[in-house]
Amino acid sequence: MAGLGITIRRIEESQGVARSPGTGRRMTGGYDERCAADLAAVCDGRDLSREDRAWLTRVVTGAVRPNRDKPLWDLAHALATLARATDARNGRDLVTLALDPGLATARAVEARFSGGAAADARGPVLGEAWRTSWAGLARLLALAEFVLTAEDLAQFAAVTGWLDDLAAAPDAEGAAFLAKRLARHLSAYRNVHLPLAPLERRFRAILGFLAGRKAFTDDDILAFWRTEMEVGERPGFRTVAEHFVTFEAGAHLVGGLEGLSAPVSLDAHAGWEERLDAALGDLATSEPAETLAALLADWPDGPKILTGAEREDLTDFLRLEPFHRTRPLTTLRAASFGRVQSGLANRLRRGGGGGEVAERATCAEAESYAALQERAGALAAHLARMLRIAAALRIAERDGLTPEARAALEAAEADLRRVRRSGFEDRPTVAAGFAAVEAALLRLAEEADRLKRALATLARQRPLDATFSADRSVFAAAFTAAYAGEAAA
Amino acid sequence: MSDDARLLAELHAARALMRTQHAALRPGQPARPSHAALWAHANREPGGPVDLAVVRAIHSDPEAARRYRTLLGAQALAHAPLAAAASDGALMRRRVGPFELEILEGAPPLLILRGPVERMPRLIEAWLGDETVRLDLGTPVDGAILLALDPAVAEADRIGHMLRDPACAVFLL
Repeated sequence: MAGLGITIRRIEESQGVARSPGTGRRMTGGYDERCAADLAAVCDGRDLSREDRAWLTRVVTGAVRPNRDKPLWDLAHALATLARATDARNGRDLVTLALDPGLATARAVEARFSGGAAADARGPVLGEAWRTSWAGLARLLALAEFVLTAEDLAQFAAVTGWLDDLAAAPDAEGAAFLAKRLARHLSAYRNVHLPLAPLERRFRAILGFLAGRKAFTDDDILAFWRTEMEVGERPGFRTVAEHFVTFEAGAHLVGGLEGLSAPVSLDAHAGWEERLDAALGDLATSEPAETLAALLADWPDGPKILTGAEREDLTDFLRLEPFHRTRPLTTLRAASFGRVQSGLANRLRRGGGGGEVAERATCAEAESYAALQERAGALAAHLARMLRIAAALRIAERDGLTPEARAALEAAEADLRRVRRSGFEDRPTVAAGFAAVEAALLRLAEEADRLKRALATLARQRPLDATFSADRSVFAAAFTAAYAGEAAA
Repeated sequence: MSDDARLLAELHAARALMRTQHAALRPGQPARPSHAALWAHANREPGGPVDLAVVRAIHSDPEAARRYRTLLGAQALAHAPLAAAASDGALMRRRVGPFELEILEGAPPLLILRGPVERMPRLIEAWLGDETVRLDLGTPVDGAILLALDPAVAEADRIGHMLRDPACAVFLL
């Protein structure tokens, strides 16, 4: 059994699962719960825009180039500037500014600080040495709140003390000293709360595998995963696919640093800001402002517009957003064999028998691509039907509509009466339930339809049954080699 | 060596955090007071208006109380979670950082605070159980602050009784 524990630990580590040193709790995705909560407290408290959230998240994880400490340098100078502008007597006055949710936007900080000696028309300035925009200042104040309140305020007194020192000497030298302290502070925070090493190893392996290519295919993802399985890393196929989602979003950054000359100009910084923002752009600007996984996870109780099983299926299909539109084959592989693999991993984690693991590893239970395509089609049809019902519930005034539109709404009304799902009996309840999820329903229906179309295109290019059989041999061989032997031992 | 893998890892974590930020909000749980609201409460003037939602949270939610005391402690000139030396009877004298607090019995009793003259506190906040009292200390005279704990003034009377209890926490602001 000890060997099994090691196997599980190895599987988890290779999937980027680290353990929080404080709690021993598992951490996935390169961050722990503390970090997610610290960020959410700042973002929600200031009601930050998606773009500003993306920027702050990036600064916290360190995804800033050419120098990941540049935002802290800027923050220290911004605070020195504000200390001068407001005649701050001590760190406490600066804390008050940093925690003020009324200073969360460019307009708000401009209204508060423009016209003073420490600003020009575009934003705050610290002598000749430093300047930023009003929007930049608003973001830096969010970062100030983060560094003050991180780890649920564990370092609050220490950081307040540093701000005392800055308030006593709010000049370029004081700012530079504070910047150094803050950089060390955030770097220590990352060491504890952002276990990036397993992710970095995996990306290094992907870069090596692609050997300079930035474009990749579905079969590259599968081949890379097989290599990792063979060398004993044993990552989840879904986990690997998720890394490729990030790789695709960030591929335009790869190799960019090499072209950079040593003395980095401000222009180079500005260029990197734009490129890094672009790597989070799909998440920062998607409307309605939530990812598909989040929409499904937060689906409210109420009329059963989606059953639990339907939500699970959709989550499975859409978790690799945007691959459900662009890489339907990887989506099918993750849905079919990814599920088998997490079943195997769970079995091993709970100490399942060797015989059962060997049986699962054959992928006899894997869902066929044709069956998955059919289910995706049924989900898309169901969501489209629900969307028509939502329209019928919403549009009460129909006099000005074309006869066709009116007929469609009436058909949806008749359809609504045929739905046999819990919560659909009482019209006001149904109407309220649909109103609450309208935007989410529209987005899910659109994405399910795009998945359906992507799968149809794929089926025309690559017959699904033959592809499934071929893939099943590949996955079964990889699973058997990786799991069955060791579980039996 | 190329930094690409590190950058991609940082982006991967950022993307994962962006995707899961919703999960940190637990619907159904009462909203915790924001950092700003707790900070404003920590900076209130004695007898001034207070945010009742914050006061309620501090008294009913130990986590909110802990965060509030952290904010208060960070800006206090000195604070003492408990009396430095426990005693069986009523405590008439205690040290809070560089400051000494003493209660002189009389009619009315007097609170005397001595310490480094260059940084004398302006306010005192006492915590005992879930009770909190904040008072203006007034200006020091000859290096000491004298406060009459007049039984006719409810808060002054109350803080006098609280400070005598070894379990009373003291913040000097």
